[in-house]
Amino acid sequence: MGLDRRGFVKIVMGGVAGTLFTPVIWQSLDDVSIWSQNWGWIPRLNKGEVKAKSALSKLCPAGCAVKVKTVGGLPFAAIGNTANPMSKGGVCPICTGGAQLMYSPARVKSPMKKVGEGKYEAIKWEEAEAMLVEKLTPLKGQDGKIAAISGDETGTANEVLSAMLAGLGSTGFYVMPGEMFTATKGVKLMGGNGQPGFDIEGSDLVLMIGADALDSWGTTVANQKAFAATRPTGGAATAQYIYAGPVLNNTASVCDKWVAVPPTAMATFALALANQLIAAGAVSSAADFGDYKALVAKYTPEAFEAATGLKADVLKDLVAKIKAAKAPLIVAGASFGQGAGALDFVAAASLNVLLGRVGQKGGMTLLGAAPKAIASAADRENAKDAGSFLASVATGKATPGALLIYEANPAFALPQAAEMAKAMGNIGFKVSFSTYMDETAALADLILPAPHPYERFDDAMNPYGVSKPTYLAGKPVVSKPVADCKDPVDVLLAAAAKLGLSLGFDTYADVIKAKATALGGDFDALAAGGIWNGEAKGGALTLGAGALAKAVPVKTDEKAVALAPVTRLAYGTASLATPPANLVTLRDTELVGKDLFVQMNGATAKKLGVAKGNKVKLTSGSGEIKARVHVSEGVAANTVAVLLGFGRSAWDEFTKGKGENVYKILTVSDEAGTGLKVWAGSTVTVAKV
Amino acid sequence: MKTQFSVAKFDQKLQERWGEVMEEKKQCKGCGGALPFVIGFVAAVIAGWVLFPDLIYSKKTQPIRFSHKVHQEQGMECSSCHTFRDDGSFAGLPNNESCMQCHADVIGTDPAEVAYVEKYAKTGKEVPWLIYQYQPDNVYFSHKAHESFECKSCHPDVGKTDTPPVYYENRLSGYSKQTMKMWQCERCHAENGVSNACHVCHK
Amino acid sequence: MKAKEFNIKWGMVIDLDKCTGCGACMTACQVENNIAPMVDASNKLRTLSWMLVYELSNKKAAPDAEIAYLPRPCMQCGNPTCVPVCPVIATDKNEEGGIVSQIYPRCIGCRYCMAACPYHARYFNWEDPIFPKGMEKTLSPNTSVRPRGVVEKCNFCHTRLMKAKDKARQEGGNPEALADGAYMPACAEVCPTGAISFGDIKNPEHKVHELAKGENAYRLLEKLGLAPQVYYVSKREWVRKLGDNYAATGKAGAEKKHS
Repeated sequence: MGLDRRGFVKIVMGGVAGTLFTPVIWQSLDDVSIWSQNWGWIPRLNKGEVKAKSALSKLCPAGCAVKVKTVGGLPFAAIGNTANPMSKGGVCPICTGGAQLMYSPARVKSPMKKVGEGKYEAIKWEEAEAMLVEKLTPLKGQDGKIAAISGDETGTANEVLSAMLAGLGSTGFYVMPGEMFTATKGVKLMGGNGQPGFDIEGSDLVLMIGADALDSWGTTVANQKAFAATRPTGGAATAQYIYAGPVLNNTASVCDKWVAVPPTAMATFALALANQLIAAGAVSSAADFGDYKALVAKYTPEAFEAATGLKADVLKDLVAKIKAAKAPLIVAGASFGQGAGALDFVAAASLNVLLGRVGQKGGMTLLGAAPKAIASAADRENAKDAGSFLASVATGKATPGALLIYEANPAFALPQAAEMAKAMGNIGFKVSFSTYMDETAALADLILPAPHPYERFDDAMNPYGVSKPTYLAGKPVVSKPVADCKDPVDVLLAAAAKLGLSLGFDTYADVIKAKATALGGDFDALAAGGIWNGEAKGGALTLGAGALAKAVPVKTDEKAVALAPVTRLAYGTASLATPPANLVTLRDTELVGKDLFVQMNGATAKKLGVAKGNKVKLTSGSGEIKARVHVSEGVAANTVAVLLGFGRSAWDEFTKGKGENVYKILTVSDEAGTGLKVWAGSTVTVAKV
Repeated sequence: MKTQFSVAKFDQKLQERWGEVMEEKKQCKGCGGALPFVIGFVAAVIAGWVLFPDLIYSKKTQPIRFSHKVHQEQGMECSSCHTFRDDGSFAGLPNNESCMQCHADVIGTDPAEVAYVEKYAKTGKEVPWLIYQYQPDNVYFSHKAHESFECKSCHPDVGKTDTPPVYYENRLSGYSKQTMKMWQCERCHAENGVSNACHVCHK
Repeated sequence: MKAKEFNIKWGMVIDLDKCTGCGACMTACQVENNIAPMVDASNKLRTLSWMLVYELSNKKAAPDAEIAYLPRPCMQCGNPTCVPVCPVIATDKNEEGGIVSQIYPRCIGCRYCMAACPYHARYFNWEDPIFPKGMEKTLSPNTSVRPRGVVEKCNFCHTRLMKAKDKARQEGGNPEALADGAYMPACAEVCPTGAISFGDIKNPEHKVHELAKGENAYRLLEKLGLAPQVYYVSKREWVRKLGDNYAATGKAGAEKKHS
């Protein structure tokens, strides 16, 4: 008996039918459907205990006191530290995405040396450190041969850098331009000493002249917290906030009033307000009140109207509000955090003197020099600016042989950036201590990767804007850095030792601990999220009349319009390109694809003969950029506003080649009477392309 | 040669073929009928219920032969290692940090302990334990909310075992055989009057 | 249609007079919910922004122009339009607290819910999430990573609710009566001006209970009758008017006309 075809078919049919009564098909279908829910290329979540560790997140200029949330030891998010008075639980948009920045594609993964134009080779740390020592050795003892630029305003690293340079016989320590630099010079012009502070928290009328205090100026989060405290949801506001500046920016959006002052008329506005305040009876006991009074007499309401395009009623209204306030405060600053001259600062800050608000609660304060960790370090108020330095390198006046660049991006974030980058070419050996592959690192001969804030010890002394001496410190959150990096200060201290110079410390951690001790603080308490505060001082300031008298009113070309660069903290800082996690916050009226938008109000657009969507060219004495027009009524008269921080040529695919670098068209001029470089009053011509 | 078509001849051929077919049919009776179908049916059912469940899973053993028995004999409680943290989350399996409180160095004679100390404790690598109840990322399971149940109502009762049970991994889905399915969760929730809303279990 | 009611109503009250539009909430949301960064994030048809900050303008010429920023999470409507249109019940409003829930693996990507949502709060994954190399190590444990082809939206960081309940249980408290502030979505937690208040709108011990009843409180597109659980507050009338540009009266409280 054999099995024929017919029988076989029957068995198969029986088998198929039988299978239907088993789990084979049903379970397989179920399993396959479950399998299809977990594709291999979809990343899996990390498991483990969730913890929160205190950290000092110096991704934003002021530094946020945060708690870094980790899962199984891996950081994944940052939340505010409710116990820290600087953050009170808030976090700025940059520090919010801090964990993601640890793995930014732009991170420098190991030390690299330049082997050709735009070509780099990864090297070992031993080789890198030996190279640093070898290049510095012949320059030792010659003034001006070794220079350093720091982009960190608050870290004690600056003490190490300047002390190291001093020990090697050089005075070439420079800082990137910022409010702190200009304001400290401004205070000097007013006969004072120290860094100015602003007690926003204690004031009931905050008039911000230029200073974008609720988004990108000073200790942003602390300012925002102070503002929020006066605005209980559903309740009555207990303080007024007024913003005077060229753009209806984030700060102005929540203010009770926006005074649309073109960037070329900021000082005029302040002095015209002084004029009206004096007219309304304001008297100051300052020695130069008489001169000041005579000086501001020129800034009549008519002059104000001509310079700003606003009605003089605005001034009257402001005077009434200031007179009615118990603790008015004028916060002086540049609308994009830099480039205004010391005189712009003096003009605005003199209002605090005029109103008798210096050293008062809710007024302007002065922060004296903090005790140093390293005695031979340069004093902060004697800082020199990197822009002037590179300008003299360009002309051959300065001829450094080596340049150390610490956490700074001068090739991108200095005005007339293209010329600055070119000037750097004149320096034989450039070392960039940078966490990310920025435009400056891309020009350096040696790139030494620095740790991310969660991977390092760091500190912040008196972040600009604080009303009383303030010190924060932090230690690493993770046990091992993601990249093969070393703390720049550790590297510098080791190099100094090899050059025969001892600064008394081996590591940055020790320097910071010494700094904390010098202040009378406790490092461990600080690293656990604490804060150290000193007492704020007043001080007899003059009205700065002598300096103001030298100010030359900005001449405006009929065809040109004022350029108002706009900073938004979420889009990055001078030393940080827009982080990947923040890109989504960009509006499609600011950047589309690779096109940056230039914003202007309807009247300005009409005057310039351009319309929404037009491609235009903005030309200044130092270069040109292309952009598309977006008509927005949130821009002052005869002014065009463009976002700062785009047009990156290095970094990563998230930012590279998007938009244009507005720093290129900021034109630097010398400020009469102070010799400072200013570029806040840059003008451009706009033409359709 | 020329072939002449003839109706009669064709008819005869047809008749002959029909006879053959009928003959074959008779022969088939012995092995025919429904029997092959039944054989196929039964074989498939047996294969489907007996062989398939075995074939669909691959067998895996834990990286370390962990003996719960030995640890219990030392007077340790389940909760000594399988603890709730202060935030109410469940620690699940202990990590090196906990294990090394005792096993930073070899303290016994069991080769499994030696293997643990050398391969994991000394190297700092966490033990890749196989989780019998592994759930995917889109599931949020709160041990705290299920605290009133006995562990063994969902987990294998390993408390007294000297060798951990074999881990069966589904060759298709990649999940453990003991991974609870959504319908099981839902049934228990329904029976106990607990919400079956999506986000009660999903994230 | 009657809105679904629960004993607990998790809700937000967003004070538009305090929102500076800084974007910290959006970033915190991206981080918490494992949204992969997009290279061209200016293509707003492709981005996934569960929390999105809109810019509102009073449409007046400079210098009288005013702007306001409006953060828009999912409204968690009492009467959600997205739920009944879902052919596979991948989204539902069926949980105590009223958060509109969703199971990603069940979603078939038909996008009916996106079409139905008047707040544009739902987003479709046009592409698989691609994180820069290594960045997957910073994934938050709180949200599963969604593949291409599914719709997603804000869920008030629901896993945080589950964790808050676990914490309450651990501490011997009542997980169904969480204290004010015990459960906070990432956006509300990080907001530097505290513009976003969050809590149980029905619980008098939570501050949102009163805030949602404030005279300047309103909800977006009240006329549609979707009963959102997100409230906005602004003293500026033009801002409130924009919140319900279909409302006949243009005044806050227009809901009373439509039930």
